[in-house]
Amino acid sequence: MLTDVEVRSKKTEVAITIAILMASIPLFLAFSLLVLSSFSKEMMTNLSLESFRFTIENWINVLQGKLAFTGGIRQNILKYTFNTALVALGVAGVVTLISALSGYALSRMNFRGRKFLLMFLLMLHAFPGVALIVGVYLLYRLSLPSSPSLVTTFSFMYVIVARAALEVPMATWLMKGFFDSIPWEIEWSAIVDGASRIRVWRKILLPLIKPGIAAILLFGFLAGWQDLIYVRTFLVEPTLATYIEANLEAEYSHMPLIAAAGTLYLLPTIIFFLTSQKLLLETHSGGIKG
Amino acid sequence: MVTVRLENVTKRFGKVVAVDNANLEIKDKEFMALLGPSGSGKSTLLYLIAGIYKPTQGRIYFDDMDVTELPPKERNIGLVFQNWALYPHMKVFDNIAFPLELKKESKEEIKKKVTEVAKMLKIDHLLERYPYQLSGGQQQRVAIARALVKEPGVLLLDEPLSNLDALLRMNVRAELKRLQKELGITAIYVTHDQAEALAMADKIAVIREGEILQVGTPDDVYAKPWCKFVGGFLGNPPMNFVESTVIRESGELLIGESRIPAPPKYAELLKKFDVSKVLLGFRPHDAEVIELKPNMPDPPMLVGEVFAAEPLGRETIVTVVLDDETYVKVFASKEQKFDVRDKVGIVLDLEKALLFDKKTELVLERAFEKKEFS
Ligand SMILES: Nc1ncnc2c1ncn2[C@@H]1O[C@H](COP(=O)(O)OP(=O)(O)OP(=O)(O)O)[C@@H](O)[C@H]1O
Ligand SMILES: [Mg+2]
Repeated sequence: MLTDVEVRSKKTEVAITIAILMASIPLFLAFSLLVLSSFSKEMMTNLSLESFRFTIENWINVLQGKLAFTGGIRQNILKYTFNTALVALGVAGVVTLISALSGYALSRMNFRGRKFLLMFLLMLHAFPGVALIVGVYLLYRLSLPSSPSLVTTFSFMYVIVARAALEVPMATWLMKGFFDSIPWEIEWSAIVDGASRIRVWRKILLPLIKPGIAAILLFGFLAGWQDLIYVRTFLVEPTLATYIEANLEAEYSHMPLIAAAGTLYLLPTIIFFLTSQKLLLETHSGGIKG
Repeated sequence: MVTVRLENVTKRFGKVVAVDNANLEIKDKEFMALLGPSGSGKSTLLYLIAGIYKPTQGRIYFDDMDVTELPPKERNIGLVFQNWALYPHMKVFDNIAFPLELKKESKEEIKKKVTEVAKMLKIDHLLERYPYQLSGGQQQRVAIARALVKEPGVLLLDEPLSNLDALLRMNVRAELKRLQKELGITAIYVTHDQAEALAMADKIAVIREGEILQVGTPDDVYAKPWCKFVGGFLGNPPMNFVESTVIRESGELLIGESRIPAPPKYAELLKKFDVSKVLLGFRPHDAEVIELKPNMPDPPMLVGEVFAAEPLGRETIVTVVLDDETYVKVFASKEQKFDVRDKVGIVLDLEKALLFDKKTELVLERAFEKKEFS
């Protein structure tokens, strides 16, 4: 059979697939144990199938915000989910907007210090977010509003911006790459036709890098959704991450219940990775033909 | 409806001089071809006229207005790019409508104009498709339609046919020329294909390494190149060049063992100026290949042997290698038969032959004028 140039031979294909599968076994195992435990009366971490006795009680309890079978403690888990989503969406939005603008500037405009800025961004990305937290906390204390009624709102905004800042350097780099792949002529053509640069950016360039934007939205969302340190340090209200973390070692907590909360927490990650493959790989099918 | 004038225009990219002190005038309704090899600065020159690049030095005028500082959109130009630069995410209609939308024209007006220009370019049945659903030739028409729809004063085209196959290129070539004349629009057309330039343009500007070497009508540039490069760039096959030594006493040229009289129009010049080494230039059509027959009085000619004969149907290109290892190509009629290694003579049409200075490679009359010769 004839194959296209880009097609790998069957053998290498199989080998690669096996290697990937092997590498992902521990991860896959951990995930499935977590999911199974959430539907079980006991944890399955002893790896024995006998401990699995099916129940959906855990899920009912989680969604009702109950932490233990017995205790009367009720927490509003839906509210926490909403908080988590709010932070995640905020981070995704801020990261995407800023990186789409700065990536454009770095790709298309020639200004002094451009090269330096590019290197600097990479360095920033390599810098661990934890290391910055003292400084970021100081800023937080300094800018905290005095009126208590505003503190919650402020803390949301602060955590979104601070967390987004960690993602912006890499996202900007990626965006620059996407913009670089669009030929200058397309942009010039629009400028000659009378479009302003901002209009070219919005009407011509952004639609062409849709897959790139989707990717950055997604990574921004997941970064916000998964974050623990920044959320725990700055956010007044709990999110799923802080909720799970806080109850993981509490005496009253029923572990399968925490497993259910954990599965809920992992859901977006799993869903996105299952569904977004096509989206991420989509490129605009050919502008020019010979 | 616009005369374009460039005055001492230079464009540098860092150390690279892409356009070197260009002076050029493109008259109203004229079709000007910018012809040169790859990397000669043709696109750069076009982008300077479009306003995408700003000249490092010099001024650009549209009619009497200095547009050097004017941004592209205020120059009222239509530009067709080398790769057409269609917007891949917009349908053909929206591609063509884009310039009009930016001018904030009404919906009905846009629809009317787009349909009109699409009809003219015979793409009115494609308006609902995306660019990637079109053939190369159709995409190219869309690009031209988009450039024409805003009724520009100057139409700039950057090798618009280079992505098309040979046959389609010939057809579009004729259509484009007709369109330009019908619309009466000033057009500047960049190409590296000399046949395209000769066939389409009213005037040709030949560019090499950012320098405009010669500007003239196709006939002029073809028959009277100012320098060896222009002669060698135009024509297929291009002009032949043969090194020769001037014998001043007899007014002859010595080429290997052969002696031929110098072209008559140079007789005076060669007497007046002392120049010993020249390049004799002649086009493949301005010479004849004859078989050498023993015991016949030879006419003055170059002698050599046949290297190859390539029949082209109507005529044959004969490549002859002269005794000093120079190869020349000459057209012969298809009745003449040649075998490899045949001894042949080449008789030149001396009225049309040219002499170039060996060192400066300028045609002799210009070399003397500029006092630049070896
Ligand atoms: N933006 C740029 N930055 C630096 N150098 C450039 C730039 N654009 C063009 N050049 C250089 O200027 C010279 C002329 O380039 P230009 O694109 O005008 O050539 P061209 O005649 O259009 O060639 P082609 O037929 O291959 O399109 C080349 O040496 C090129 O490398
Ligand atoms: Mg070019």
